[in-house]
Amino acid sequence: MASYFGIDKIFKALRIIRDHGGIRASLYQLYRVDDLKDGTLVGEDAMGNKYYENKQLTLGRNRWVIYNPSVGTDYDGSMVPAEWFGWLHHKTDQPPTKVAPTSYGWQSGHQMNVTGTADAYMPYSTTKPKVEAWTPPKAA
Amino acid sequence: MGHPGEGLLLGMGATRAQSSGPEKIEVFIDDQPVMVPPGTTVLQAAAEAGVEIPRFCYHERLSVAGNCRMCLVEVEKSVKPVAACAMPVMKGWRIKTDSDMTRKAREGVMEFLLINHPLDCPICDQGGECDLQDQSMAFGSDRSRFLDNKRAVEDKNIGPLVKTIMTRCIHCTRCVRFASEVAGVEDLGTTGRGSDMQIGTYVEKMLMSELSGNVIDLCPVGALTSKPYAFTARPWEIRRTDSVDVMDAVGSNIVVNHRTGEVLRILPRTNEEINEEWLSDKSRFACDGLKRQRLVYPMVKDSSGELRPCQWEDALLVAGRALAAAQGSVAAVAGGLADAESLVALKDLVNKLGGEATCTEEIFPEDGSGTDLRSSYLLNTTIAGVEEADLVLLVGTNPRFEAPLFNARLRKAWVHNELDVAVLGPNVNLTYEAEHIGEDPAIIEKLLSGTHPFSQRLKAARRPMVVVGSALLSRPDGGLLYARLQQLAHQLRAGCEGGAEWRVLNVLHRVASQVAALDLGYTPGVSKVRNAPPQVLYLLGADEGAITREDLPADCLVIYQGHHGDRGAEMADVVLPGAAYTEKMATYVNTEGRAQQAQAALVPPGMAREDWKIIRALSEVVGAQLPYDNLAEVRDRLTEVSPNLTRYGDVEEANYFAQASALAQLVKGKQEAAPIDVPQKVLEDFYMTNSVSRASPTMAKCIAAIKKEAANRHRDK
Repeated sequence: MASYFGIDKIFKALRIIRDHGGIRASLYQLYRVDDLKDGTLVGEDAMGNKYYENKQLTLGRNRWVIYNPSVGTDYDGSMVPAEWFGWLHHKTDQPPTKVAPTSYGWQSGHQMNVTGTADAYMPYSTTKPKVEAWTPPKAA
Repeated sequence: MGHPGEGLLLGMGATRAQSSGPEKIEVFIDDQPVMVPPGTTVLQAAAEAGVEIPRFCYHERLSVAGNCRMCLVEVEKSVKPVAACAMPVMKGWRIKTDSDMTRKAREGVMEFLLINHPLDCPICDQGGECDLQDQSMAFGSDRSRFLDNKRAVEDKNIGPLVKTIMTRCIHCTRCVRFASEVAGVEDLGTTGRGSDMQIGTYVEKMLMSELSGNVIDLCPVGALTSKPYAFTARPWEIRRTDSVDVMDAVGSNIVVNHRTGEVLRILPRTNEEINEEWLSDKSRFACDGLKRQRLVYPMVKDSSGELRPCQWEDALLVAGRALAAAQGSVAAVAGGLADAESLVALKDLVNKLGGEATCTEEIFPEDGSGTDLRSSYLLNTTIAGVEEADLVLLVGTNPRFEAPLFNARLRKAWVHNELDVAVLGPNVNLTYEAEHIGEDPAIIEKLLSGTHPFSQRLKAARRPMVVVGSALLSRPDGGLLYARLQQLAHQLRAGCEGGAEWRVLNVLHRVASQVAALDLGYTPGVSKVRNAPPQVLYLLGADEGAITREDLPADCLVIYQGHHGDRGAEMADVVLPGAAYTEKMATYVNTEGRAQQAQAALVPPGMAREDWKIIRALSEVVGAQLPYDNLAEVRDRLTEVSPNLTRYGDVEEANYFAQASALAQLVKGKQEAAPIDVPQKVLEDFYMTNSVSRASPTMAKCIAAIKKEAANRHRDK
């Protein structure tokens, strides 16, 4: 009956808002990720990013990540570490919480893409400058 | 080759005949009638008719050699083709410059020239500006018949400036003739004959001349090329900007060759009044100094006393605050490379702030009329005027190194016009014979009173010249000696044949900025600054160490504006990076008083700016805004101060010799016993005289090579 009139949608919306921690938090979530979905928390990685799943939703939208709140809107896809990447992109259905990822001695820790930050790689010229600047002599 | 002068009669005879102008004779160039004076060569007559005859060995400014045979033309009723460069025309000759016979002769000559010429145009530096390349395209055969081995000649090492690839030589002997006739060094010559002929120095030695770079321009092929420029660029990729040289006070006209933001080479630009088509080695090769030791960002001394790079705002604020706080205790010293625009802006700024001392580094005596009368500090006769003189007295100057192209004129007049030269000062080698009168300054007094044996010669001279060098003027008793010379010159002028039109007194300056600075009212010499040390001293490219830190109180703030880190920047508290002469539109006045414009070939490197703009910006920070915002307005201001400064290309005549001489009579003083000396005596002293040439690696190589050459046992000591 309720589903016939669509009232369950209202209940669902209210539940989603409640799950997200109220109207204010939900509006912030909308502002931050342009989406408000209900799902089950599958796990959390070392950097505090949370991974959710909702099998009701269409493929491609059914697994998602909510980045650590501390980064605000300044998040980037490369913040997802390699072990979660496979699950998030449907390469595997086993999240690292269920099947621990293999780890080798040669593996280094995850590092996000630093393009656009101060740590970004900048190529430098190896040719001699055309004009050599004068360096003042050291004061005695 | 023979003694200079011997082979010249023909070439000179032609030009002289033109001036005296007897009746002209008619000849026909390709059926086109031309009237030429008798003695004109076929080649000159053809040029008169607008027909250019191909040539390799012939050059207007050198004697006629006639050995390349490229200029063969047919003359009607003559069995054989004649060499146009050496054959004087006869009345009614019909010369055919494009007949079958002429063309066949040219093609044959070209084939012979190419027999032993290597086919290395793709790796040859002359490629694209090679006479042989051009003329073989125009007149040569379209195929080769030569199947033998080509001749090869060992390369000679003639110093760090001229690279020789002797296999390419076609034996035109232009370089040999230039060295012996114009440069006056008998270092180059030919050995052997026929296909064994070689150009060289006979024994391994250096081409020791301050004009050696000109053989590169003269060489019609790639046998003599520029060593510093080797494999750098092709002529068609180069941008060319006409400009003016500032390495000496002659103001040679130059073409700055540049590409991708750097000066690649500097070539002379023809100006008959100044440098003809020659250029001194310093002007030509010191351009690599523009890429080293440059000031590319403003600098301010920090609390530890070290200069630190900073932004323009910071440097201008520090300088501006100090200038404002100085309450008029401000002085300026201009160096030898400053342009008229920045000089006028700096003087206006200092005067506006209440300062009076605007000085130049070069000294000029203030006794008598001082610098009030323009004729007292100019080369009044003009450089080209030397060719009319018959006796030149050089006092305290070595023009060979202070103004090489002025010396080349003197030599030209000595060779062609029987000019006599006498030297009062050290007996230096001027490349021509000069009578050495002595080094004692007392001789000047004797010449004035007429008791010296040489006075008779001076009196008898029809058009005498007295050339005074800066070395004499900067002596402690320079004022007295110069006053006597002024009187002497006036005395000679009264008696000479030239009359009122002929100017006897000449001052040969050493630096490019001096005449403009004096025209603008700068005080020559830094004694004003030394006697009353200011709170803020503004150095505009002053790098010769005329004023040092020791001359100034400890709390004096020194602002240096210039383009090179040298002595000036070392003692500065604030460094403002300016533009070098290739990087700004600027006015320079040469020692004749001829204003000329330098054009900007490049933009100043890094944060450096054009000099007058820096001073204009600083004036706004100080709160004494200068009333000009663009170059045209600065030049209006120049015109306001001294109209000759913007009459580009012209020599503004100066007069009032009588008044100057009358004032000179009042000069009293004590004459020193020290002999008259000049700072630049040997070639080694020539190369590094300003901040650009001191930064130049090529100039350093020249000095090193000359030091090494001293050990050469083949060189006569």
